[in-house]
Amino acid sequence: MIGEGLITGIGRGTMAAWRELGGITVLTGQVLRALVPPTMDRPELLRNLYRMGNRSLPIIALTAFFVGGIMVVQAGVLVRQLNAAGLVGWGAGYAIFREVGPMLIALMFSGRVGSNNTAELATMTVTEQLDGLRALAIDPIRYLVVPRVLAMTICLICLVILGDIIALYGGALFAMLVLDLEYATLHYSLVDNIGWLDFIHGVVKAGVFGAAIAMSSCYFGVSVRGGAVCVGKAVNAAVVAAAISIVLLDFFLTYLLP
Amino acid sequence: MSEPGRTAIDVHDVQLRLGHRQVLQGLHLKVAEGGRLGILGPAAGGKSVLLKLLVGLLQPDAGRVEIRGTDLSSGDEKVLMRVRRDIGMLFQNYALFDFMTVGENVAFPLARRGDVEADEIRDRVEARLRSVGLAGSAHKMPSELSGGMKKRVGIARATIARPALVLYDEPTAGLDPVTTQKMYDLLSADQEETGCTVLAVSSDVKALMGFASELALIHEGRIRYAGSSSEIADSSDALVRQFVSGSEDGPL
Ligand SMILES: Nc1ncnc2c1ncn2[C@@H]1O[C@H](COP(=O)(O)OP(=O)(O)OP(=O)(O)O)[C@@H](O)[C@H]1O
Ligand SMILES: [Mg+2]
Repeated sequence: MIGEGLITGIGRGTMAAWRELGGITVLTGQVLRALVPPTMDRPELLRNLYRMGNRSLPIIALTAFFVGGIMVVQAGVLVRQLNAAGLVGWGAGYAIFREVGPMLIALMFSGRVGSNNTAELATMTVTEQLDGLRALAIDPIRYLVVPRVLAMTICLICLVILGDIIALYGGALFAMLVLDLEYATLHYSLVDNIGWLDFIHGVVKAGVFGAAIAMSSCYFGVSVRGGAVCVGKAVNAAVVAAAISIVLLDFFLTYLLP
Repeated sequence: MSEPGRTAIDVHDVQLRLGHRQVLQGLHLKVAEGGRLGILGPAAGGKSVLLKLLVGLLQPDAGRVEIRGTDLSSGDEKVLMRVRRDIGMLFQNYALFDFMTVGENVAFPLARRGDVEADEIRDRVEARLRSVGLAGSAHKMPSELSGGMKKRVGIARATIARPALVLYDEPTAGLDPVTTQKMYDLLSADQEETGCTVLAVSSDVKALMGFASELALIHEGRIRYAGSSSEIADSSDALVRQFVSGSEDGPL
């Protein structure tokens, strides 16, 4: 009996997941169609860029700084054992640019900006503001969703670039304080071994994660049905969906990208 | 803008199911261009749903909805957008944009058209807010307003672009009797000035009878009465008579 309940539960969950995925795909199609030619609301785009960037900058700078530190401190054990001080800059840079930077910053961004965006859109949906726009002959996808998707994608790319730099300096600082390494050692270890490709690998990931966060956050916002309780559920679903997509996409991108 | 004699609203045998409920069951309605129709009826009868159908926010399962000669039933977004440009709607729950000030909300329908100068927009918003009794509230956010004030901002937003068809869902709910009368006077004056077609849903039977000479009563998704407001009290239908008189004895 328990087994049966479990199987029904899994079946129902899978169906729901496919339905949401279908919904996100349809919304993505609508957003792409609205982008050629780009007919969105420019003031809305700028307003969102400013708001989202402002809101997430402090928390992302803080995270990035300590992530750099953690990586170096963790590496410290190996460095001492193997006497491999020359590898610290390379190791930290490689991991930060390609994996840790985009992934952690995307997760923070999703929690800070994505959830907020879902709550906002969901509240607007349940209070009939989207219908209000439609009744005024405004397409809410073009007016509300497209600028937010663009803003979130652009924002995350910029934040990851900035976060990378902050994480590197955070790492360098901790390496000098904790591991007694010279700045020059770190510097040459990094620039001699890390290329543009590593950096671009991370930036491409940031763009993809940004779009994924934006799509799931907007989808759960505009597709909410019911009242205020459902707003909370939508936020929850959006954050979970974003986290899952970030992890899955990261796996595939690491595999596919050079 | 409007051509008297033409049919502004033509709803033909509309069926609509929402969730598990058959909300509209064969609803017919016709309103001539420049006409004024009051819609009343018990709660959950389908009045708000009917208004949403008229702006294409809902699509009928069967039947036909025509607005000023354009069939909305196809659900084609381009057609809907064109029709909506000539419609002003007040939602029962206001649907004010909460990320904009009151002034921006009222200006929105004009600003989106792109062919009105900023100065003119500002003047017209000010005038509109003054006429609904909210002069000086332009800089406030909707969350700072009372229910009755939100309603009046909604009325201002629905009418500022002088649409050919205006739909009011409960324009006076939450307003005191004096303000109610003032609002209906304003709606009348607006209509006389622009010649628009007006549809007003209200549960305030007396005030609505004073405003509209034609009334329609919707009950459980059907029209139970359609005719002049002076004769509704003497309708042969006991349900209609009970609703209008407000007595407790009867089929309702
Ligand atoms: N989106 C929806 N999903 C499911 N059912 C709905 C939806 N919208 C309305 N209904 C149902 O349709 C019926 C008619 O609703 P409507 O809002 O039109 O009533 P109304 O006549 O405007 O009532 P009131 O005077 O209380 O505003 C109600 O039973 C309502 O539960
Ligand atoms: Mg209603």
